[in-house]
Amino acid sequence: MNSAYLEITMFNIRSFIPHKAFTNCGRWLSLLSLLVITASSSMSYAAELPKGLNWLDNDSSPEWSATKSEKGGLVRLNIPSFPPTLRTVGPDSNNSFRSFLLDNQLPLVEMHPNSGEIIPILASHWAYDKDRKTVYYKIKPNARWSDGKPVTADDFVFALEFNRSENIVAPWYNKHYSEEVVDIIKYDPLTIAIVGARAKPKKDLHYFYSIQPRAKHFHQLNKNWVNRYNWKVEPNTGAYQVGKIRKGKSIEFVRKTNWWAQEDRYLRHRFNVDHVLIKVVRDPNTAFKYFERGELDIFNLTLPKLWHEKSKGPMFQKGFIHKLSFYNQTEQSASGLFLNLENENLQDINVRKAIAHGLNFKKIIKQLLRNDYQRLPSFHTGYGDYSNTNIKPLSYDLAKVSALLESSGWKNKDSQGIRIKNKQRLSFNLSYGNKLHEAQIIVLAEEAKKAGIELKPQYLESTSFYKNVIEKKHDIAWLGWSTGFRPAYWQHFHSDNAHKPQTNNITNFADPKVDDLINQYRLSTDEKERIRLAHAIEQNIASQSIFIPSTMVPFTRAGFWRWLKLPENVATKSSKSLFDPFNSTTGGLFWIDAKAKVDSLSAKRSGKGFKASTMTNTRYKK
Amino acid sequence: MHRQTSTPWQKFKQLKRGYFSFILLLALIILSCFAELIFNSKALLVKYENEFYWPIFTASIEGKQFGLEYEYETNYRQLKQNWEKNLSKHDNFVILPLVPFNATEVDLIDNLYPPHAPSLTSQHYLGTDTIGRDVLVRLVYGFRIAIFFALTLLFVEYLVGVFIGCFMGFLGGTFDLFFQRIIEIWSNIPFLYIVMIMSSLITPGFWSLVLIMALFGWMSMTWYMRSASYKEANRDYVLAARMMGASNFRIIYKHIIPNSISTIITFIPFSVAGGITALTALDFLSFGLPAPAPSWGELLKQGVDNLDYPWIISSVVISLSFVLMLVTFIGEAIREVFDPKHKVFYE
Repeated sequence: MNSAYLEITMFNIRSFIPHKAFTNCGRWLSLLSLLVITASSSMSYAAELPKGLNWLDNDSSPEWSATKSEKGGLVRLNIPSFPPTLRTVGPDSNNSFRSFLLDNQLPLVEMHPNSGEIIPILASHWAYDKDRKTVYYKIKPNARWSDGKPVTADDFVFALEFNRSENIVAPWYNKHYSEEVVDIIKYDPLTIAIVGARAKPKKDLHYFYSIQPRAKHFHQLNKNWVNRYNWKVEPNTGAYQVGKIRKGKSIEFVRKTNWWAQEDRYLRHRFNVDHVLIKVVRDPNTAFKYFERGELDIFNLTLPKLWHEKSKGPMFQKGFIHKLSFYNQTEQSASGLFLNLENENLQDINVRKAIAHGLNFKKIIKQLLRNDYQRLPSFHTGYGDYSNTNIKPLSYDLAKVSALLESSGWKNKDSQGIRIKNKQRLSFNLSYGNKLHEAQIIVLAEEAKKAGIELKPQYLESTSFYKNVIEKKHDIAWLGWSTGFRPAYWQHFHSDNAHKPQTNNITNFADPKVDDLINQYRLSTDEKERIRLAHAIEQNIASQSIFIPSTMVPFTRAGFWRWLKLPENVATKSSKSLFDPFNSTTGGLFWIDAKAKVDSLSAKRSGKGFKASTMTNTRYKK
Repeated sequence: MHRQTSTPWQKFKQLKRGYFSFILLLALIILSCFAELIFNSKALLVKYENEFYWPIFTASIEGKQFGLEYEYETNYRQLKQNWEKNLSKHDNFVILPLVPFNATEVDLIDNLYPPHAPSLTSQHYLGTDTIGRDVLVRLVYGFRIAIFFALTLLFVEYLVGVFIGCFMGFLGGTFDLFFQRIIEIWSNIPFLYIVMIMSSLITPGFWSLVLIMALFGWMSMTWYMRSASYKEANRDYVLAARMMGASNFRIIYKHIIPNSISTIITFIPFSVAGGITALTALDFLSFGLPAPAPSWGELLKQGVDNLDYPWIISSVVISLSFVLMLVTFIGEAIREVFDPKHKVFYE
């Protein structure tokens, strides 16, 4: 969507790695390499660990996988296009397939998907430095690359060199791993420290100053790196590795037998299916047909049309395909209308509030979105304690619109019923870059017209829409920002970014009082203080009506063939998808019931059926 | 009447297929100019408490005016329904246009979600598109835009193409050579890419799109006009005009163009068809007129993406084929009228 989006997406990168041939190198090799490491560790190292570190390991948080899960089977998913490369950095790598690769590259630690506590993944222990910038990690001694070689501190040190290298042709990474992640220090083969540029609260340190190891023995960093590694399978640490590739058609992931982490707490009883086949199906309608025919096992049904209309075929009615809706609590995209304060009429807060009261979201949610979606309350919704839940969006109220506009001098109406003041009409362009939202925008504009406000829908092809908005040439823009880990105020609301092209402050909002709060928020390392500040900033922004929130989707929905099974609790609080195959926290929870599959297939052949099933899980519904 | 002596118009009239196509197309164009009277969400006539209102022709009338509670523009469909429920109590009435929807209005029907199938009761005679706008209304307004776009484009292209072509043939020499090279180079610029780039820089509107397309479309006429005027330039009447001191412009305008008019006229219908398809294609690719303008290309795109709702794709494909067929029939007839074979008799 824009640079912030890009940055945030890249932020989410955990890491990744491939390997040449999928081998489950025997224990001998692993043991051997471990011996080598132990031998070399007796040599002296320049850096020495600070004394008195408090090593944490969190082995007491509840697990969320199902102990009764079974291993084995094949699951088939679809993607809309074949990836242009298997690299996860460099040109063309930012494609939708990349997450499959990245998710199989485990991070050092993760956040518990339900409680948010830090849990160990690739690291066994971690400790914080007093400077609030540095975190120490002990890598699990049994951690192995997919080619059997041990994961060591050198792979992390190399990862920093790798990400800083110009040879990977990834300027964002170069910059981030120079300016944000300042250093990675090796203390012994299994102990490292990651040093960040700025002090942050503890949890935030893990997120903002994380790095994925890169198998040092695999990469040859030189000018040819981009081309040479286009289709090479990089060694990884996750449960699956890329198997058979049929170019343009499909990519298969194969589960590692004797995966090093398969008995580890938080990772056991997960990643159950043996093969994950990712098929390329370009057209979503065709993909749905494949799904109904049983050539795909899972289909995301979040879109109202899919859930309510299309998923009614015989396979659904006969109970072969089950439907499940699951409410989650994830960060919600800040979507809605962004009012540009460079427009003279929008500088009047009464006009902005009148617009907010003139937008009939209730009607849209009821008559277009089938009451599936909810009104988004504020800019940062779903950020846990950081979200200010006291904020309520302004509702449709024509009387309030009239009162507000009349108090600002918009007293008369022209022949079309639009308010006028000094011969000027109360008219704004409402630009948008996604045709999917056209119906909503047109209905909003029709309803606003009743309030005497003209919103002229203006569709712009997505790149020109982006350009128009980022250069702040819009009156009112309809868009949604991608989500992040923590609320990000500086980029959207600080005066540093107002009235300048190519920044994310697209409302041109500048208020010294809010600037001050944002500065404090950025500098503070105390979580409670930051939460307090976040609430205050959010309140200020909401009271200005520069951003009018639209809708949010507080759930995920899927259809799946009946042999796929999920844990009792279905998914986690932060699950964005029900059948994510690889994600290190929310993924790999499902398994295949082999007997059910045999039964279902024979029932299908003989024309029998089962009970239809549509379930809704409201465990995390607010 | 003998064919040799009849005027082109008389000959054209005798070619029934082309002639009726022409009448039909002309009727459609004229009708589309008055589309607001037939396809509109505003009422044609309202009688309320012994007073008459003509909402289409006047400023918007607030609901309060008709005894409703709201202060915004009256919803006439609802008004009609309300009044028809208790007819006996009053003699108020609403006369709605034939299709009571406008081109951008989303019709939300309770407990039903768009697209709505064709239905007489909902008065969506061809159904609605995926976001609930009436397909018939969008076809009509889309036709009006497309045909006037094609005609405007044709006018601009021909104005430039015909004159440059005539001058090339008439003057010859360096001017001719220079423009020949220009046209050769210009024709090799990939038009579609340019339009894509342009529409990412500016938001294309009706006129800017005409301009962009004319910029890359004027060349085709030049070659024909160049050869026509090349031939005419050495005829006696041109030499005579020149001897009498007529300027180059006058010779071209008064003598050469009228004498090569058959070339121009023969091409017109095909250019119109070309203009319509070009706009439709651009809209199909979302590089044409900005949404939510009614457009055939946009409907076609929706239809292709939603084959489950066959009324969308079938309406637009049938309309498009029908209009293009009419234009082609006219074109054929005109070609026949000016066919030199009909003028030559061997005895």
